[in-house]
Amino acid sequence: MEESRVRVHARFARARIAPGMVRVIQLRLEFALAVKRPQTLRRCQALLAVCGLMALTSPCLGAPMAPSHWAFVAPARVEPPAVRDTSWSRNPIDPFILASMEASGLAPATAATREQLIRRATFGLLGLPPTAEERDAFVHDRSSGAYERLIDRLLASPHYGERWARHWLDLVRYAETDGFEHDALRPHAWRFRDYVIKSFNEDKPYDRFVREQIAGDEMWPHEPDAVTATAFHLLGPDMVDSADPVQRRLNTLNDATDTTASVFLGLTFGCARCHHHKFEPLTQQDYFAMQAFFAPAVFQREMPIPTAFEQAAHDRGMERYRTGAAATQKSLHELEAAYRDKLHAERLARLSPDARLAHQTPKEKRTTEQEGTVAETAPMMRFTDSELARSMSVEDQARRTRLLEALKKVPKPLPLPMTMALQNKSGPPPRTFVLARGDFNHPEEEMRPGFPAVLAGRGLEPAAQAESQGSRIQRLAAHQPRTALAHWIASTENPLTARVMVNRIWQHHFGRGLVSTPSDFGTRGAVPTHPELLDWLAREFVARAWSVKAMHKLILLSSTYQQSSHASSETLARDPDNRLFSRQNRRRLEGEAVRDSLLAISGRLNRHKGGPGVSPPIPADLARSSKSWTTSTDLAHHTRRSIYILARRNLRFPFLEVFDAPDSNLSCPERGSSTTAPQALTLLNSDEAMEAARAAARRLLHEAPTAETRVALAFRLVLGRRPTAQEQGMVGDFLKSSSRRSSEVPAPNSEIRAADSGVTEAAWAELCRALFNLNAFVYVD
Amino acid sequence: MSIDTGWSCLGPSGTGPRPASRRDFLRRAGGGFGLLALASLLDRDGLLAADATGSPSSPRTQPLDSRSPHFTPRARRVIFLFMSGGPSHVDLFDPKPELIRLAGQPIPESFGTFKTRRNVARNHLLPPLRPFHAHGQSGMEVSDFLPHLAEHVDDLCLLRGCHGDSVTHPESVYLMNTGSILMGRGSLGAWASYGLGTENQNLPAFVVLPDPGGWPKGGAPAWGHGFLPATCQGTLLRGGDSPMLDLNRPPGVSAEQQRATVDFVNALNREHLRSGEFNPELGARIAAYELAFRMQSHAPEVIDLARESPATRRLYGLDRQVTAEFGTRCLLARRLVEAGVRFVQVYCGDTHGWDGHSRMEENHSRLCAQSDLPIAGLLKDLKARGLLDSTLVIWGGEFGRMPMSEGSDGRDHNPHGFSMWLAGGGVKGGQTLGATDAVGLRAAEDKAHVHDIHATILHLLGFDHERLTFRHNSRDERLTDVAGKVIGRVLA
Repeated sequence: MEESRVRVHARFARARIAPGMVRVIQLRLEFALAVKRPQTLRRCQALLAVCGLMALTSPCLGAPMAPSHWAFVAPARVEPPAVRDTSWSRNPIDPFILASMEASGLAPATAATREQLIRRATFGLLGLPPTAEERDAFVHDRSSGAYERLIDRLLASPHYGERWARHWLDLVRYAETDGFEHDALRPHAWRFRDYVIKSFNEDKPYDRFVREQIAGDEMWPHEPDAVTATAFHLLGPDMVDSADPVQRRLNTLNDATDTTASVFLGLTFGCARCHHHKFEPLTQQDYFAMQAFFAPAVFQREMPIPTAFEQAAHDRGMERYRTGAAATQKSLHELEAAYRDKLHAERLARLSPDARLAHQTPKEKRTTEQEGTVAETAPMMRFTDSELARSMSVEDQARRTRLLEALKKVPKPLPLPMTMALQNKSGPPPRTFVLARGDFNHPEEEMRPGFPAVLAGRGLEPAAQAESQGSRIQRLAAHQPRTALAHWIASTENPLTARVMVNRIWQHHFGRGLVSTPSDFGTRGAVPTHPELLDWLAREFVARAWSVKAMHKLILLSSTYQQSSHASSETLARDPDNRLFSRQNRRRLEGEAVRDSLLAISGRLNRHKGGPGVSPPIPADLARSSKSWTTSTDLAHHTRRSIYILARRNLRFPFLEVFDAPDSNLSCPERGSSTTAPQALTLLNSDEAMEAARAAARRLLHEAPTAETRVALAFRLVLGRRPTAQEQGMVGDFLKSSSRRSSEVPAPNSEIRAADSGVTEAAWAELCRALFNLNAFVYVD
Repeated sequence: MSIDTGWSCLGPSGTGPRPASRRDFLRRAGGGFGLLALASLLDRDGLLAADATGSPSSPRTQPLDSRSPHFTPRARRVIFLFMSGGPSHVDLFDPKPELIRLAGQPIPESFGTFKTRRNVARNHLLPPLRPFHAHGQSGMEVSDFLPHLAEHVDDLCLLRGCHGDSVTHPESVYLMNTGSILMGRGSLGAWASYGLGTENQNLPAFVVLPDPGGWPKGGAPAWGHGFLPATCQGTLLRGGDSPMLDLNRPPGVSAEQQRATVDFVNALNREHLRSGEFNPELGARIAAYELAFRMQSHAPEVIDLARESPATRRLYGLDRQVTAEFGTRCLLARRLVEAGVRFVQVYCGDTHGWDGHSRMEENHSRLCAQSDLPIAGLLKDLKARGLLDSTLVIWGGEFGRMPMSEGSDGRDHNPHGFSMWLAGGGVKGGQTLGATDAVGLRAAEDKAHVHDIHATILHLLGFDHERLTFRHNSRDERLTDVAGKVIGRVLA
């Protein structure tokens, strides 16, 4: 630990003292460590301590130090406080919440009704409404443990992962296209989406989830999921045809650094790219030391990830294919060679000089940057089969066609599954420099991988770990730098990681986190409303082996969560912003939940899971002018859950966009929740809404025998409750007048049924459409 | 009930800096005008207002209400004519005798090295495609490509020293629209609607009229909101029967039924409201449905050009096939600003647009023929209606074009030097500011970076570009990032 403190001083000093001087001391320190010469070591320590002291006592240099900021100190071991009302608390969360209410002279809100609870919990965990049967069963189940069984059932549903993956995808700026001019499809990006869904469904321990996304390729290179997880770093926008491959790689490195810090640590690091952070104790050195962890990574847009079984089967298949196709292929190769060379030369000429040189350098002689450049410009080098064919003479084209026909007859194995991923290049990693104003044309001092000094001060620096655990980890830091980063972030000692994640879980169950700036735990972020509870939850999270589902259950079983969203006037007066969680927050459904509900209620939801993104129809003129939407020909795709809709950067799915779906270019920790006229137009007039209304009407006619039961069913399906007597009357009048109108102007394709009640099918559809437009549908109490 | 929440309202968890408490909020509000604007937004929305009685009927007004900027604005609204693809300054607005003299030779060594998109640096210089002539009292020189606009040079403030940061389309489209070559920042129009709100509660604050042939390279993020509230982003408007997404009632539903259904929705919502619960969203939602219903009748009215006189229609070239399409959108732009929309962006040129890598002559002849008359008509019409004094008109693309040739008859992208013009509200017309070097390669005198142009536009709208900020991830973001200087000589 002594050495680690020296290291901290060294890192800190480096940020402020002349780099050359520090470098000399550092070299000597490394030398001393290498030969284990205690005298030299001590001298270095003394020197560095002086440097550290100088740094601390010269506030005008570098960023201000804030070692005592609450979030940079490990969560305290706290016990739930004593409360006056001992009957309210159901679990340890409640005393924390109740104590602050009691201190303000407030009492909790009444408990939510059972129909409110099942709707709230089902939307909260699955993003779908409860079915009428589920609702009825729960409302009538008065046995003890009914609510807990409900939570267990919901947590076991495969739809849970689809719901919670969406929150994660917002954070990691997930999309399936590159953005910029061509907005080209990333055909393997969906594997990351499916990986996240699967991870939530399996309740993968969060520390493992973190490690996989940062360094899955290093730590579990033979597990396809872990390798896919590293696509995390490649999900942002990327200008594939950039004129400047160095800048392009730097953009991705910056994006990876910023997103890692913001998603896992709740640190807004981006400002430190160009200058010491003005408000946080983060220096530019900290920034590039963090970025240096990523320096050896090559950004693979297409990496095969077969299981051993798939690989073996594929190898056998390929062997058979090669034998069977050898002769034909040889002729084909000879025929095409000259044409291919010509096309290759043409493609090469279009690249920037740097990229051209990289491609022309033999593979084994390429630098890591060049390797990266080659991987990234590979799509520009490709030419299609038809381009090749077009470049050939007519006779050769005909010969080629004959040869290809012959080849087709040889059975070939399916291609291996591919993913986007990071992969380290062997050999010395490229060097990372502090860049003046973030500009790569102005490199300054060289940086080695390291953690932010203000946090490493907690004894978590990789070098510190390395020294205490011996040479094994030292080797690791040299060859698997992201593993070192992953261990540091996912460490139980890291003061931020567990806090940030439990806060996100809380945020999605209450509409606001205990820290209301969920990706900013720095000195400019919001102060936690309940710091002790946050610390308690963070420690509980670690103690429960980082189980996200355990935290859901803990929160959902609390009395705090089960409060009504209705507040007394006294509570409203004293706690207008609900900072005390003196009631549940009423929340608007996200666009995905609105659309999925329309599909589920009308009985059309296709519950198929996973696979490449699907493209339901969008308004025709939008498709025409954007030129980038090809509607799925398989109609079953049109009714998949919204998380499976192809996420295009340059064209957000309109229905979701109007309900504040984030643009996928920056990490989005918290969605907007606006109320706008375009939302009203969408729910009133869109094809999605009208089709749902008509299908739901048919369902009512099919499933309930009388007008009265149909109305009741409609309310239960759409709003999760029965209509009041007052509403019954209003609905009756509306159905009558609408039937009259619809018999005058019959709706297309709708068979008018006078049936028992004199209410037409079109009128039932109008009722459903109206219910979809109620506040009570788009809000959860 | 006085609640009216329309085009934009920040919900309880807007993407912006949502205050944890009012005190917390006011502490942070010291940081910039943006936050103060937001404070008023939230206040209007009743989100900051501690409603002691819990009564939902306390007065709240529109969150995107017309608002006052930092100082008296010279322009109250903007029409940005965006020439997608990058029109050639050396062929339209920036005459270069040296380019004629040196035509056919490579650019002299003295010009040094510079970035190009397609390795054209050593190609021979291509003379201007058309002659230039002086016009108006100001004697501003404009190419013969633009005979109609030439009649209005005394209204134009021509900027010949513009420059940007990237040789590629999408990066430059983003820079010109959002102040950054990276994707995902808020666009100029979004900043304007964030800062100013809308004058007409029945219409959005920021409307985009894309070219029917296709979107600019870079797509929708060019009018995106980025980290600003989602409701600030540009709303796409088209001509024809369905000008806005989902504006029309569904097929098979009569107008009478639609009204009945909206009334029924509002009646049920009100019934819920009467139950006495504190439910601030509910009032907003009822208002949104009322507004939606008004828009269904109002928006088609705004875009209905039938009421325009034949003279006006001729002015915009609606009577000629070549100008009718773009002319229609220019006329729409006028109707929209007249109706109170703050920021209208009209795209000229499809996905390739002015991108004359080859056959420049054909490309620019076609696009000038489409746009010259309607743009001149727009200026004339705005002036005749007394709107030009308070409407800022901006003309420009994402960059200009190179003085040397690409192939035999094209020009490559040039972000190092190009021209734009401003006219109308607060702009001193009849003047030419800035200059490129002898051949039009680089901005050389009184250079105006895109950030400077943005700072100037915001200034004309009444904003100090350094104080119009939005807190995102702990940083007070600006349209102009950390740069930008108002070009003082632009101002009247």
